[in-house]
Amino acid sequence: MLEIDQLTVKRDQQTLRYQVQVEAGEILAIQGCSGVGKSTLLGVIAGFVTPTGGSLRWQGQDLLTRPPEQRPVSMLFQDNNLFEHISALDNLKLGFDGPPPLRAIEDAASSLGVSDLLHKKPATLSGGQRQRIAIIRTLLRPEPIVLLDEPFAELDQQTRGIASDWVAAIARQSDKTLLLVTHQQEDVTRLADRALVL
Amino acid sequence: MLIAGYAALLLSSLITLLAFAGLIGFSDAAVDWALLSDRYFHSVLLFSLKQAALSTLLSLLLAWPLARALYYLPELPARRSFLSLCLLGFVMPTLVLITGLVALLGRNGYLTPLLGDNWNLYGLNGILIAHIYLNLPYAVRVLLQQLQHIPDRSWVLARQLKLSPWQRLRLVEWPVLKPSLLLLSGFIFVLCFNSFAVVLALGGGPGATTLEVAIYQALKYDFNMAEALTLAWTQLLIAGGLFLLLNRAGSSRWLTADSMVRGNTPPTAVWMRQIHRAIYLIAWGCLLLPVLALLPALFQADLLRFDWMALLAPTLTSLSLALAAALAAMVLAYLMLFPIRHSHRQRKARRRLLLEWLSTHALVAPAMVISVGLYIFLLQRIDLDRWGIAFVALLNMAVIIPFAIQQLKPRLLQYDAQYQQLSQSLKLSRLQQLRIEWPFIRAAFTATFALILLLALGDVAIISIFGGDDWQTLPLLIYSYAGSYRITEASIASLLLLLICAALVGLLERVKQDA
Repeated sequence: MLEIDQLTVKRDQQTLRYQVQVEAGEILAIQGCSGVGKSTLLGVIAGFVTPTGGSLRWQGQDLLTRPPEQRPVSMLFQDNNLFEHISALDNLKLGFDGPPPLRAIEDAASSLGVSDLLHKKPATLSGGQRQRIAIIRTLLRPEPIVLLDEPFAELDQQTRGIASDWVAAIARQSDKTLLLVTHQQEDVTRLADRALVL
Repeated sequence: MLIAGYAALLLSSLITLLAFAGLIGFSDAAVDWALLSDRYFHSVLLFSLKQAALSTLLSLLLAWPLARALYYLPELPARRSFLSLCLLGFVMPTLVLITGLVALLGRNGYLTPLLGDNWNLYGLNGILIAHIYLNLPYAVRVLLQQLQHIPDRSWVLARQLKLSPWQRLRLVEWPVLKPSLLLLSGFIFVLCFNSFAVVLALGGGPGATTLEVAIYQALKYDFNMAEALTLAWTQLLIAGGLFLLLNRAGSSRWLTADSMVRGNTPPTAVWMRQIHRAIYLIAWGCLLLPVLALLPALFQADLLRFDWMALLAPTLTSLSLALAAALAAMVLAYLMLFPIRHSHRQRKARRRLLLEWLSTHALVAPAMVISVGLYIFLLQRIDLDRWGIAFVALLNMAVIIPFAIQQLKPRLLQYDAQYQQLSQSLKLSRLQQLRIEWPFIRAAFTATFALILLLALGDVAIISIFGGDDWQTLPLLIYSYAGSYRITEASIASLLLLLICAALVGLLERVKQDA
C-alpha cells in the first residue's frame, strides 16, 4: 500500500496538503483545477519535490529518505520524457536493470501503432507519437509504482482510447499501483478504480 | 564524479597557490607597499587601465556596425568565410599578428609611407590596433548572435506599427544587445588588461607598459620579487574583482556555436544596404591585410634553400604541447563542471558562483606570475631541464581551462535542464549517463577542443619562462627571429603557424555546422 499521511509541501506562498492511501495494484485518477498541486504530488512521490512535513510510505517503508534513483517508481513527466538525440528504440531500452524486454517493447509498439517509428529520433515525431513511446517505457519498466502526468494530453480521441485500454491492461497484468493526473472524465471511467479530486 | 570534480578544482587552484607560494617563499619576499605610491607604479597601472578601456571601447564601437551589416545582409558574398576569419582573428597567435602588423605598419611597413612622418606603430597606437584586431572579431560574432535572437514576431510588429529606423534600433535591437554588452565589454577588458605578448612586442618604456609586462620585467631584468608580487596582487585584485562581478551578472556564450542560425531578415533602405556593404568590404580588408602582409616574404625568400628543417622540430613541439594541454584541459574542465552542475541543480547560487570563479580564475591570474612562481617553486625540487616541458603543458592546460569551462557549461546545463530528472527517474548508471550525454555534447566538445588547442598553440608567456634550447615552440621561434630582425624567416614561420590555425578553425566551423 502507498500511504501518504499529512504530507505538506510549500509552494510559493501557499502550503499544499495531501492525505491519501492507495492499495497495491489500484489505479487512482487525480483530478482538480490547474495549480492545485496534482503534478506536485507526483513529484513528491517520485522524489523530485521535497515536502516540508508528513510521511510517505510504500509497503510500510519510508520513501522520503530515499533519493529518486532508489524509489520503486516509474514516472511519465508532462514533457522531456525522451532523449531527443537518440532513437525512439534506444530511449525505450533505458530504465531496465538487466537486458530490456525487446519482445514486450515490440508488442507494445505494435499495439499503440508506433512500430514504424522506433528507429526515428524523437525530434522527428509528432507530440502524440512521442507520448505513446514514453508511455510504453514508463509502463514496461519493472517498478511497482507508476506515475503518469497527463499521459494522453496530446492524443486524438481514437488513439486516446487505444492507449488508455493498453495502459489499463498492462497495469492490471503486472499488478502496478498507478496514479495518473488527468483532466478528462473519460480517462477516469475507462481506466481508474477511483478518482481523487484535489 | 563529484569528488573527481572537486579534485580537479583543487589541482587547478593548487597550481596558482604553489606559484604564489614560490614567489612569496623566495627570499621571503613580501609585498612592497612603498611601490603603491611610486610614480612608475601609477603610470603602469594607469596605462594598463587606459589601453584596456580604449581597446574595449573601440572594439565594440567598430564591431557593432559590422555585426549589423552581417545581420541585415545575410546574402553578403563569402559571409560564412568572413565569420571563420573572425574566429581565426580571435585565436590568432599574437606573434603572428605582430609580425603581420610590423610588416604592414612598422618602420619599413607597406602602408607606413601613407601614414605621415609622425606615425609610430610602437606604443599605444600599435597596442590598440593589435587588441582591436584580436577582439573585434569576437565581439562581432557575439553581437551577431544576439541580433539573430530577435524573434521574427518583433520585426512583424515593428513593421505593422510603422516604427522609424531609430525606434527599431531603440525598441527592437538595443534590448537584445544590452544584456550581452556588459559581459562582452568586461571580458574584452580583462583580456586586454592582462595582455602580455602584444604589449611586450609593441609597447615600451613606463609610458606603454602593462602590469603583466611590468611583472615580467621586474622578474627578468631586476629579479625584484617584492615588486613583482605587488604588481601581481594588484592585477589579480582588479581583473579578478571585475571577473567576479561579471560572473554574478550572468554568463555569455563565448564564441557562440550558433552564429549561423537566423530567421527572416527585416528589410532595410537601399542607401543603408550600401553602407552595410561598404562596412563589410572594409572589414574584410582590415582583417586580411596583416595576414597578406606576411606573403611577400615567401617571394623574397629562396624557398628551396630555406632551412625548413629548422621549423620542423618547433612545429612538432608546439603541436604535441598544445595537444597534451588541450586534452588534459578538456578532461579537467569536464570534471570541474560536475560540482558546478550539481550546485546549479541544487540552486546553491553562492556555491555555484564560488566554484565557477575557482574554475575560471586562471583567466585573471597573471600568467607570468603563475609561470615564474611555479618555476621558482620547482627549481629546487625538480630537474627542470628534464621536466620543464611537462610544466609548460601543465601551465598551458591551466590557462585554457576557463575557455573550455565557458564553452562546455551552457551545453551541459541545457542537458541537465532537459534530462536530469529523466535520468534520475530512469535510474541510469554513470556509464549509461555518459553514453547518452556524449552524443548530446559531442559537437560542443569537439569545437571546444579545437578552440583551446588553437589557444594553446599560440602561447608565448609560459614557454618564454620554461622554454629551453632543447625544445622550442613555433611562437617562440618567431619571437627569436623577429628579435634578431630576421623578418623573412619570422614571416614564413608565422605563415606556417597561421596555416595550422586556419586548418583547425576550418575543422571547428565544420563541427559546428554539422551539429
